[in-house]
Amino acid sequence: MSGLGAVREAAATLRAHKGRALLTLFGIVWGTASVILLTGWGDGVRIMMERGFFKTGRNLGEAWAGRVSEEFSPAVDRRWLWFTSADLAALRGRVKLSELVGGEAWEWAAATHRGRTRNVDLRGVDPEAIAIRGIDVAAGRPITRTDLDHRRRVVVLGDQVRRTLLGPHGGVGSWIRLDGRPFEVVGLLAPVGVQLSQDRMLIDEQTWAPLSTVQALWPRDWTEDPVVTKILFRIRDRNDVAIAKQEVRAILAERLRVAPDDDEAVGIFSPIEMLNRFPLDETRGLLFVLAATTLGVGGIGVLSMMLDAVHQRRQEIGIRLAVGATRRDILGLFFFETLAITGAGGFAGALLGVASTWALGRLDAPDLVPVPVLQIPIVFVAIGVMGGVGILAGLWPAWRASRVDPAITLRME
Amino acid sequence: MTAAAAGAAPIIELDGVHKSYDFGRGAVHALRGVDLRIAAGEWIAIMGPSGAGKTTLLEILGCLSRPSAGRYRLRGRAVDALGADDLAQVRGEAIGFVFQSFNLLPRLTAAENVALPLVYRRRPRRERAERAREALARVGLEARAGHRPSELSGGERQRVAIARALVNRPALLLADEPTGNLDSATSEEILGLLRTLHAEGNAVVLVTHDVAIGRRAGRLVTIRDGRIESDRNQGTET
Repeated sequence: MSGLGAVREAAATLRAHKGRALLTLFGIVWGTASVILLTGWGDGVRIMMERGFFKTGRNLGEAWAGRVSEEFSPAVDRRWLWFTSADLAALRGRVKLSELVGGEAWEWAAATHRGRTRNVDLRGVDPEAIAIRGIDVAAGRPITRTDLDHRRRVVVLGDQVRRTLLGPHGGVGSWIRLDGRPFEVVGLLAPVGVQLSQDRMLIDEQTWAPLSTVQALWPRDWTEDPVVTKILFRIRDRNDVAIAKQEVRAILAERLRVAPDDDEAVGIFSPIEMLNRFPLDETRGLLFVLAATTLGVGGIGVLSMMLDAVHQRRQEIGIRLAVGATRRDILGLFFFETLAITGAGGFAGALLGVASTWALGRLDAPDLVPVPVLQIPIVFVAIGVMGGVGILAGLWPAWRASRVDPAITLRME
Repeated sequence: MTAAAAGAAPIIELDGVHKSYDFGRGAVHALRGVDLRIAAGEWIAIMGPSGAGKTTLLEILGCLSRPSAGRYRLRGRAVDALGADDLAQVRGEAIGFVFQSFNLLPRLTAAENVALPLVYRRRPRRERAERAREALARVGLEARAGHRPSELSGGERQRVAIARALVNRPALLLADEPTGNLDSATSEEILGLLRTLHAEGNAVVLVTHDVAIGRRAGRLVTIRDGRIESDRNQGTET
C-alpha cells in the first residue's frame, strides 16, 4: 500500500474508532504534559529554594562575635567579644574568596510618626551591606557612602515598617523619630516577602540607617569603639562555602586574638549550607520518578488500548492477509494509525505542558509555589519517549497478529 | 470439461499433506495425509461431515495456512516452504477467496472492497478503480459500487466478495460454503454466477454441506477424518 493510502486508511480507522482514539490520545497528552511539568517543577523547587534562601543576600555569609569558648579559656576569663569598624576594614582588605564585605550595627529603637509608635529593628548599614542584601529600593534612594561620611540622620524603611508606621499617606520625605531623634525617610525597600533564612527580623520589618550614624547615636556602654554587630560577606563561588568561611574566620580570629577554630568566639553562618542540606537532588529525583511513572502508565494505557484495537480488528487483519497483504502492509497500517495518535497526542501534550508551565509561572505566589521551569530538551524527550512507546505499543500487537496464519485469524470471529 | 481438464497439467499438486493444530491440550490432526491434483478449469466440490478437515484443506489450497507435513506445488512452484510474505504474494496473484460470511471490510465501499487485493499488488489508483468496476460489472453490481456492506443484501455482499475474488484474475477460485448464509433463491443466484465464472475458464473449488450443490460439481471429493474418502468425476453436468 502506498504511504498516502496508508495515511488515508489510518485516518478513516481513527474516525471509525473515535472513543478509543480519544482515550489513547488523552493518555499520551497527559503523560507528555506531566513529564514536562513535573521535571520543570523539579527545577522550579530548586529555584524557589534558592530564591527563598538568598532573599537575605545571594551567596551570603554572616559573621558575628561571641565569647571565647571554654575549651580555650578558663571559665572565669570567658571574654565577650565584638567587632569594630577596624575589623570590618581589615577583613575587607584581606579577604580573597569573598567579593563584598559589609557591616551592620543592630539596635532596637522606638519609632514614632504622627503619634504612631512601634519598636523597630534598626540597622546601621554601609553600601556594601546593602549591595550584599540586594534588595530593590521601591522609592527614593538607598543609604550612600556620603550618608555615612556625614553621619546623616536618614532612614530607608522596610515594606512592613512603611505600612505600619507611615500609613497610607507617608512616604519618601516623611520624618520619623527614632528614640526621639528626628530622621528623614529617604527611601523605601521593595517588599521581600517569605524568607527561608532570617536574622532577627524579616527584612520587611527592618529600618536601615547609615552605619556611622547608628554607631554614633547608640554607643555601647562598654567600649568607645564603633561596634559592628554583624559582618556580611558575599562568597564568590557557592561551592567554596566551607573554605570561604574558614578564610573569614581566620582573619577575624586573628583580629580578636582568639583561636582560629573557636567557633563560639567567631560565629559564621551561610544560607548556602542550609540550601546544600536541603534534599534538592532527591526532590528532583522523586519528581522525575513520578514523571517517568506517569509516562509509563500512559505507555501501558496506549499498549492496552492498541492491544484491544488489534484484537478487535483481527478479522480485518485476516481478510487483508487473505487478499495478499504482507506482514509489512499490516504493520504499516497500524504504524500510521499509532503514529497519528501518538504524534497528535505528543504534540498536544507538549503544548499543554508548555502552556501550563507558562501559566504557573505567571501565578503571583512564587515564594510558596515552585514555578516550573521549561526545559526544551525534556519536551523533545517526552514526545520521543511517548511516541516511541505508542508506536511500539501499536506495532507489537499488530506484529503478533500478523504472524499468525491468516486461516486462524479468520476463524477467530 | 473435467475429462479434458484431467488430461491437462495440474495447477495444484498435494502430496501427503498433514495439518495439525496445537492448542495446548495436545495436537489436533485436521488433515492426515491428503493427495490431490487439480487441473486448470476444474469445478470441484469438497464435502464431508463437520470436523472432517474440509475448511483446513481449502485453507491450505489457498495458502492461508501451511501444511505441517507433505508437499504442495501450485502451478509447479513449491509453496509449502514459502515464507509468510511470499505466501501473501501467491494469495494475491493466484487465488481468489469467497467465504461463507463474506468477510468484507465494513468501512469500505463495495468498489473499495473489490479493489483491496489490487492495493496490495501496488496497482495504481486509476487501474484499481477501473478493474474494480469491471469485476463489479461481472457480478452485476456496478450500480452498487459506492455502497458499504451494511447497505447491501446478503446476496449482494456475496457477489461483492466474488468480485473481489475475481479482480486479480486468479487461476483458482476457492469458496467456503459460499451459500451457507443465504436463502435458497439467492444461493441459486450465487451458484449461477460461480458456474458462469467456471464456464469462462476459472478453476473453482468449493466446500459445501449441500448435497445438491455437490452433486452438480464436475468432480466431487469427500473427506472424512482428515483423509480423502472418495474422489470421482461426475461428468460435465455444469
